Amino acid sequence: MRLTALSEGAEALGLKPGQGVAEARAMCPGLEVLEEDAAADRHFLEAVADWCDRYTPLVALDGTDGLFLDITGCAHLFGGEEALLKDILARLRRMGMDACGAVASSPGLASAVCRFGSGGIVTDADIAGVLAPLPVASLRLEEETVAALSKLGLKRVGDIMTAARAPLARRFGAFLLLRLDQALCLDEEPISPRRPVASLSAERRLAEPVVAEEDILALAGQIAVSLKPSMEARGVGGRAFELVLFRVDGAVFRICAGASRPLRDPQRIARLFSQRLQAVHDDLDTGYGFEILRLNVLHHEAFEGTQASFGGDRQSEASLAAFIDSVSARLGADCLQAFRFQESHVPERASATVFAADGLAAKLKASGPETPRSERPLRLFTVPERVEVLLAEIPEGPPQSFRWRRQQHRVSRSEGPERIAMEWWIDGLETPTRDYFRIEDEAGRRFWIYRQGLYDETPSPLWFVHGVFA
Amino acid sequence: MAEKAVARETLFVLRETIARLEGRPVPALAAAAGEPGAQGFSEGDMPPLPIGIAAVDEALEGGLRRDALTEVRSQGLRDAGAATGFALALAACLREGEEAAPLLWIGDTVAGLEAGLPYGVGLKGFGVDPKGFLLAAPRKLDEALWLAETALAGAAFAAVVLEVRGNPARFGLTESRRLALRAKAAGRPLLLLRQAGEEEASSACHRLCAEPAPAPARPLPDGSLLGGSIGNPAFRITLEKSRNPAPLSFVLEWNAHDRRFFPVLGQPDRRFPAAAGVHPAHSGARLSASADRPDRAEDMGAVLAFGARRRPA
Repeated sequence: MRLTALSEGAEALGLKPGQGVAEARAMCPGLEVLEEDAAADRHFLEAVADWCDRYTPLVALDGTDGLFLDITGCAHLFGGEEALLKDILARLRRMGMDACGAVASSPGLASAVCRFGSGGIVTDADIAGVLAPLPVASLRLEEETVAALSKLGLKRVGDIMTAARAPLARRFGAFLLLRLDQALCLDEEPISPRRPVASLSAERRLAEPVVAEEDILALAGQIAVSLKPSMEARGVGGRAFELVLFRVDGAVFRICAGASRPLRDPQRIARLFSQRLQAVHDDLDTGYGFEILRLNVLHHEAFEGTQASFGGDRQSEASLAAFIDSVSARLGADCLQAFRFQESHVPERASATVFAADGLAAKLKASGPETPRSERPLRLFTVPERVEVLLAEIPEGPPQSFRWRRQQHRVSRSEGPERIAMEWWIDGLETPTRDYFRIEDEAGRRFWIYRQGLYDETPSPLWFVHGVFA
Repeated sequence: MAEKAVARETLFVLRETIARLEGRPVPALAAAAGEPGAQGFSEGDMPPLPIGIAAVDEALEGGLRRDALTEVRSQGLRDAGAATGFALALAACLREGEEAAPLLWIGDTVAGLEAGLPYGVGLKGFGVDPKGFLLAAPRKLDEALWLAETALAGAAFAAVVLEVRGNPARFGLTESRRLALRAKAAGRPLLLLRQAGEEEASSACHRLCAEPAPAPARPLPDGSLLGGSIGNPAFRITLEKSRNPAPLSFVLEWNAHDRRFFPVLGQPDRRFPAAAGVHPAHSGARLSASADRPDRAEDMGAVLAFGARRRPA
């Protein structure tokens, strides 16, 4: 068993990572050894990455103990690169983490300076000067390459920076030169952020944290007001919104809300989130309050700006869309459904349901159902229920009486049979044909009953009730 | 003389108070307003939608209210089809000619399992265009009530049908009054479909009990009826809550093409047993059903006030 990570006190005692536990305990009898929990460490790193979202949305993980932040264009918001670096490190230190950081023009250089150097800001002018004294391992190479280089006596980056490139490539592969170029900022290396970057985003930083839900909603409304001009300039409306709440102690909460049609109106956006907050009320732990609120537009679409007519029929369409939005936000997108018809003679497949939020735009273009030859029931069972039939005319007659749910029904009239063969390309060739009857019993209840299978195929076919008529 | 005047004054004040409690306009002002006011509806109210049958409209005092709660009840889940059909027929009437005006159906999970879900193709055949038909599937009664309230408040739907099963304790007089007020404020009707429910006091302006009734036969082009066929659906409607002290009962037939109700004449005047499988113990007089005649055997011991009329064979 070996040590993988040490605290400052342990390092001060002279222990090194990779040392055996027994040897370490011999050196320091009072050593406290905890088992490594890689999953928890990664979870913690991701939480810190979430926290770093307040500086820039482009955050990537670097190994198991580092983060890349792409602060192109963000630094001026925090008063310059140096102020940003100092701010991050100070906050992390206050949260109890020992961190070091570096700002450079490429991730490779920043990683090298941070892990093997002293950190700080590296300007473009003195890249070579900063990189030269660092060991070769700072170039993020594989261990064999590092070992081979050191065997040859190339221990510092400065040694290979000025060497001829072709022999190095021949000996150690192109990867070495790639890493060298990335560290020298000659090659672009983009980082892959953890979360997709929102196309539009606006935030509010608060001097005093907010706790109450109404305040959060009011602030969300204000942020939406500030988002409106940029959406108008692009001619888009948002379909999916995300409200990111940064808590004072570092936890980050994300609340997503979707709209069925592109939205721009700040009040409707705020109303979406009020419904959503009521739904996720219990999961949101406000703690000591939120200090930063950010509204992201994750997905936007072209906004059809229509002129309101005097007739007011636009009003009803808009209020239907608003109703669907608030129900989807409060109860989930699967609560409201609309009909969608398919070309199939099998009754359970002829009509399907689609979520209303998705189908709103396509609904008006959908075609109605084909008129079937005989009447269809008003309510259909999802799974047909078995009935017991003792007497029925052979080969095509209706039952004389049937027993369903422990009640005997005597048939007084019937219409049928309507023969529906199943779709052999979906159900297979062996699926039995159905003969449907529209049956009225003595009390006047009307059922849709079918016999599964023909008498030549099965000696005693089963009977099912598939639906009820009005 | 003075006592008479005082008595008249007191009477007037009492009438005024009662009219205000019932939500009707004060009689004196109504008389001044003219004919529509005197009937009990102020200008702000929406005129009721007549069903089309004089007797029914008279019993409903003009017809279906377009901005109030109407309750349709079924006595058991066996009769769920009839109650659903009647409620959807009323909703189709309330859609009033705009074919694709949106309708909201708030279904109940238990009723959906026991009686099935609304079927799009069947709705079209029944006269309800499935294009503007939205189905909601709330998991709990609270969610269903919230859906109904939001749908009414938004005034986005021509009619909202709320299906509940039985008489849940959480849906009592207060909740129904709240929904009725919301309907009135928005000017939209709410149809409460109570499956397998008992009669319960609610803020519905009308309560109708829907039972299945044998359908009339299909008419042939030359005017006669096709024997043994099942034509338009028919319902036996009992008006349980109205100004009339005794419950009134009608048998109505729904014509899906015209989207209207027609009265059904010639129905036998007896009630079919509603309890499960009730047959007389002594079945001596029961004859077997004939091959192609719709007649049924008479059960013994039925006491009728008016003589039984058989259906024409």
